[in-house]
Amino acid sequence: MAAPLPFSESELRLLRVLLKRKVRFMVVGLSAATLQGAPVVTQDVDLWFENLGELKISRALQEVGAAYVPPSAFNPPMLAGAGAELFDIVLRMDGLGTFAEEFDRCVEISLGRQKLKVLSLERVLASKIAANRPKDRLSVPVLRDALAVTQAIKRRARKK
Amino acid sequence: MKRRVQSANTAQAQRWARRLSARVTKIIAAHPDADPDNVRHTLILLEEPPLERLQRSLIRGRATAIFRK
Repeated sequence: MAAPLPFSESELRLLRVLLKRKVRFMVVGLSAATLQGAPVVTQDVDLWFENLGELKISRALQEVGAAYVPPSAFNPPMLAGAGAELFDIVLRMDGLGTFAEEFDRCVEISLGRQKLKVLSLERVLASKIAANRPKDRLSVPVLRDALAVTQAIKRRARKK
Repeated sequence: MKRRVQSANTAQAQRWARRLSARVTKIIAAHPDADPDNVRHTLILLEEPPLERLQRSLIRGRATAIFRK
């Protein structure tokens, strides 16, 4: 039996449509860290878009029956509708470079035939250190240890 | 026959645990400040495909959220 995907069919469809339309976005936060092996838990998948005002995004959302809801007084920007509940929108990442700089350094995770851009573990750690909220401080030692492990594995692979 | 299969599985599990333990020891030797539990769990997760890792994290994260309510 194939491994279960973390996404429902509608969530997967949303990601695939965004990728098909070449929308520039990446997975960030603890979901990015866990995709790279960090033993942390998360409740949602944070997405960082280069330009939320892009027509490509609204067309992609329309295609799957979802919509972008701009931020208001007490609410952050969000995606609503089919397949959108799992995803949170991130407008700003502390301690990182521009979207374009970070996009070039992303790791890629296969989503069927498409590739999902994911902020590297090293950069997730940098963002958590910079954000420095109580919940970020909790994850920093775990991310640091996970990074030590992944770097040790890479060093070992290079030696072979 | 069944007993033979079970002992083969047990031997395989023991080999895996010994290998894992050796890898944890090696990494801790290079990073003495690292938490051995974090190192061990990372090594275990790295044996799974990325989307499976995310799946586990989301299941546990949501279970924790429900438990807190």
